Amino acid sequence: MRLHRCLPALLLVAPLAAQQKIERRIAIAPDASIRIHNLVGSIRIIGWDRDSIAVTGSVPPGAGSFYMGGAGRGAKLGIERQDEVKQGQPATLEVRVPRNARLWVKSASATVEASGLTGELECSSVDGSIRVEGSLRLVIAESMEGNINVAGAMSVARLKGGGGTITLRGARGDVLATTVGGAIVATDGAITRAHLETVSGTIAYDGTVSPRGTLDVATHSGDVTLRLPPDISAEFDLGSFDGSILYGLSGKGEGKGKSEEALKPFRGKPISFSTGAGEARIIVRSFKGEIRILKP
Amino acid sequence: MTCQELRARADAYARGELDPADAAAFEAHLESCSACEAALSASDGPLPDVAGLSRSIEPAADLWPAIRERVAARRGRSAWIAPPRWALAAAAVLLIALSSGVTAVLLTSREPRAMATGNISALEAQYSAVSEDLTGALEQARSRLSPETMATIERNLRIIDAALDETRQALARDPANPALGQMVVAAWRQKVDLLRRATALGTET
Repeated sequence: MRLHRCLPALLLVAPLAAQQKIERRIAIAPDASIRIHNLVGSIRIIGWDRDSIAVTGSVPPGAGSFYMGGAGRGAKLGIERQDEVKQGQPATLEVRVPRNARLWVKSASATVEASGLTGELECSSVDGSIRVEGSLRLVIAESMEGNINVAGAMSVARLKGGGGTITLRGARGDVLATTVGGAIVATDGAITRAHLETVSGTIAYDGTVSPRGTLDVATHSGDVTLRLPPDISAEFDLGSFDGSILYGLSGKGEGKGKSEEALKPFRGKPISFSTGAGEARIIVRSFKGEIRILKP
Repeated sequence: MTCQELRARADAYARGELDPADAAAFEAHLESCSACEAALSASDGPLPDVAGLSRSIEPAADLWPAIRERVAARRGRSAWIAPPRWALAAAAVLLIALSSGVTAVLLTSREPRAMATGNISALEAQYSAVSEDLTGALEQARSRLSPETMATIERNLRIIDAALDETRQALARDPANPALGQMVVAAWRQKVDLLRRATALGTET
């Protein structure tokens, strides 16, 4: 009877007791190259002002074993699994690294979050989401199906998705974002150079383009909506083979919908025109998606 | 050869302009350096001397075959044997970069220019060859990828193939339309890039 009463508690304690807790720290150069590998679970990376890597986390039974090594200018850490499948017990890692480090991160279904970094991050995943905040020199993020979310003024961002959504907030420098079916959504943008491309997803850009900057947008069937300042100085080049083009920056009407003008391309041949001194360059191409250029 | 030197010489290697010692150093470095392989695979911007491409838009007709032949010859194997994954990745990136360069020249030119049908055909032939090789590499990697991952990859490929078919049919009806030519090239670029990424998922360590 006593054993019967204790059984639930025993069942709960047994796996907890077998769970591997991680708490490790090593010294490293402030601009070291660091490889982080965890296929299932989560990886949280935080930049800090110390010349060391500190890792905390947990590895449940069956999730593999934690490894960590390196010193000076290079280190690697992660969860080593017997198989490379993306299912299985999730391991969680929280890794503090020098802000200016160069990071290479691999996940399968694990979520990846990075913040407080100023160096370089290259991250690949199958269907895990990737979230990056900060002002890095370089961000390369690829997820075949997961969402990619980047917030902050990255000097260079190269983001490649598949079916997941790419979200950019406060993009500034040189941005390339491509998906297959996923949407691309950029808010508060002030880019110098951007190429946004999707096959069937939609593209929405809300912001401005630097003088002499280029915003180059392409879809096959997805709709494109650009919300730009009405007084933007830009040369527009808009082409949709089998979709409509709606231009709403120059009209005199008041209120949403009253100032928009439908442009009629002939057999998809691009329509070109300038506003102001035509300093920036805005190119949109779609096969059959609708193109809308609107006020914010 | 340092990582920086390798990345600066990638396009020269593809065109066979490196001397034998440098070419050997290039291959040795690329085979042992996953960072360079990843960097080459991730790069989508035009390579340094793509900026100097002629405005007459003559895409190299022998880019991928040349790489494949060169790799095979160096390894003493016949050209039809599957090339190593780094060479496939490098070729895919170079092809994407060069065709992006061609498209960029078209897009940034202030004068309207037509993308000649012959040039589209040449680019399509190259993309088709690289795509075929990457599809073979993906098949080899299939056992290391979960069924769900393969399903995701195949779903995305179907979307791109449908878009490619649609734009090719439109181009066949209106072969002089440069915008359609650009869309065909863009669809091929998406396909090759997706195949490159998918293959890397099954082979990266």
